[in-house]
Amino acid sequence: MAIINVGVREIHCKIVYYGPGMCGKTTNLQYIHSQVPREAKGDLLSIATETERTLFFDFLPLDLGKVRGFSTRFHLYTVPGQVLYERTRVAVLNGADGVVFVADSQRDKLQEDIKSLQELARNITKQNKNFKEFPIVLQYNKRDMPEALPTAVMDKYLNPLNWQRFEAVATTGVGVFDTLKSISKLVISKL
Amino acid sequence: MDPQLTSLIVPPEEITNIDECLSRLVEDTGGNYALLLDKSGQVIAASGDGNRQDTTALGALIAGSFASSQQIAKLLREKDFRMLLQQGVRENLFIALIEDQWILTIIFNKGTHIGLVKVLTKKATEELSTVLERVRKQHKSRDDVLGSNFRTSMEDTIDLLFRD
Repeated sequence: MAIINVGVREIHCKIVYYGPGMCGKTTNLQYIHSQVPREAKGDLLSIATETERTLFFDFLPLDLGKVRGFSTRFHLYTVPGQVLYERTRVAVLNGADGVVFVADSQRDKLQEDIKSLQELARNITKQNKNFKEFPIVLQYNKRDMPEALPTAVMDKYLNPLNWQRFEAVATTGVGVFDTLKSISKLVISKL
Repeated sequence: MDPQLTSLIVPPEEITNIDECLSRLVEDTGGNYALLLDKSGQVIAASGDGNRQDTTALGALIAGSFASSQQIAKLLREKDFRMLLQQGVRENLFIALIEDQWILTIIFNKGTHIGLVKVLTKKATEELSTVLERVRKQHKSRDDVLGSNFRTSMEDTIDLLFRD
């Protein structure tokens, strides 16, 4: 739930990057962190294993400065993607205002994408939220891979609700900001 | 609209009440710092030692560890864990849940007795839960607070800032 703190004139929104293991959620945050001007970002905090797999979450606070007198902050989180960590994903999803679902475009990852999306639907519903109305943006990542599925095929399996979706190569930044802009605007529209 | 998607609008007078409650808690326990968080990890108010620069990250981590403990509770077939204590060499952290929505955290050192922290934190959570109830019940719309042009201005800012 977004918080509008009228006393100190601040607005806080929480956006969570969700998706199967190794799909590029952390890479999205790292790219955003590398490009956003210094005054608009905090430190990128990662709770990862020694092999740099996300263990709990990554966290990146973004400060958009004053908009009509209100300081606006977006807090970006990633969840750990590995199947093992479902309970941790539930914990990170707590109180999210919007979700970016990052799907891995490679042919042999489609099954994992579908499972992860089904899990997301289940976890959002468990928080007493209506999944169909929840702000979600899709990102088809790793479009540069030779084994990338055609977007029409991915749409068929992952986008029956017709969310806005973006093609991306998070390692080089392609599509990363388009995705972020889209989810931010969607979250603001639901404040 | 899904009620969970609407924002929690905290008016200035309630922020004053929250601030007073947090300062009183810090003062009465002899603690160092008190924080009120939303369960999503956002800091609503803080009181005490003014040198802490890291409240945003602290809020995210405390809410994360609290949410994680709630999942542990479920696995143990507990409804939830209402309180959490983390002991350090210099400072300790006591965390309490308020109505499944807010998280009250107090940071204190060896000079403060944990029993006192528990009792006074319980009192503070009761006060804050009354505040939360009032905040939930008020019917201010977003436009009353932010003005109708806010969304357009916000979208312009997003376009300006979020780019390579």
